Amino acid sequence: MKTRACGWQELKASLVMTESPYVQAAIQLILLALISLLIPASYRVIVGPTLPDRLQAVDLITTLLIGIIVMLALVEGTENFVDMAIALAAFAFIGTISIARYISEGRVF
Amino acid sequence: MLLELMGVAALLFGLFFCAVGVLGVIRMPDSLTRLHASGKVATLGLFGLLVGAALLMPSIWLRMLVLGLFVLLTSPVATHAIAASVYRRREIVAELGESGTPAEDSGFTSANVTAVLSRSRIQDIIEAQERALRQPGREAKGRRDN
Repeated sequence: MKTRACGWQELKASLVMTESPYVQAAIQLILLALISLLIPASYRVIVGPTLPDRLQAVDLITTLLIGIIVMLALVEGTENFVDMAIALAAFAFIGTISIARYISEGRVF
Repeated sequence: MLLELMGVAALLFGLFFCAVGVLGVIRMPDSLTRLHASGKVATLGLFGLLVGAALLMPSIWLRMLVLGLFVLLTSPVATHAIAASVYRRREIVAELGESGTPAEDSGFTSANVTAVLSRSRIQDIIEAQERALRQPGREAKGRRDN
């Protein structure tokens, strides 16, 4: 980002992570809503009639968890949580692929 | 101020699609339709959340970009693998039944659906051929209709 002579302070103030109470409240409410979405998503894990349904619901929960970690990084103001989200996405992909192959093929490799 | 508004709007967009996807996963009647609903969470919902987070916290936009590209690349592959497992499992159930014994009347299976679809397709072709025989000049048009 290039530094400009005029209005740089205002631009920087508008780009820095906000401390506005409305935005903070909105972020926390969205985080709360995402966490509460985990409960109906786990319904399909428990009730799901077949094995692929449960696997798909676990995949959905993992996707929601990535979103929750990102929102947690926003709420806490910590950047390092995003690395956790990337690692979780990678391991969830490997796990989903291997379990789906186990269901369809009867073996993983 | 504008970035904050856009960021919160993108977060709400993502939250809306996450909620719709979870609702679809609960309410949809079939495994493949549920997969259709949960694919929206991985692409639209999570991508909206990532865009909103990158707008609200611009120092992490590169990692958000990496995570978003990774999710965009991997989630259709995972969804396709689950769909293939659903299809393969239906074939096995239609062939052997739920308990490993041959199925008598197993309802909505892929074999039944294929049979119904191919039966209606055959009826369509026969009707088209009969129409073409009744009107010899319209043969090409009847073929194009079906």
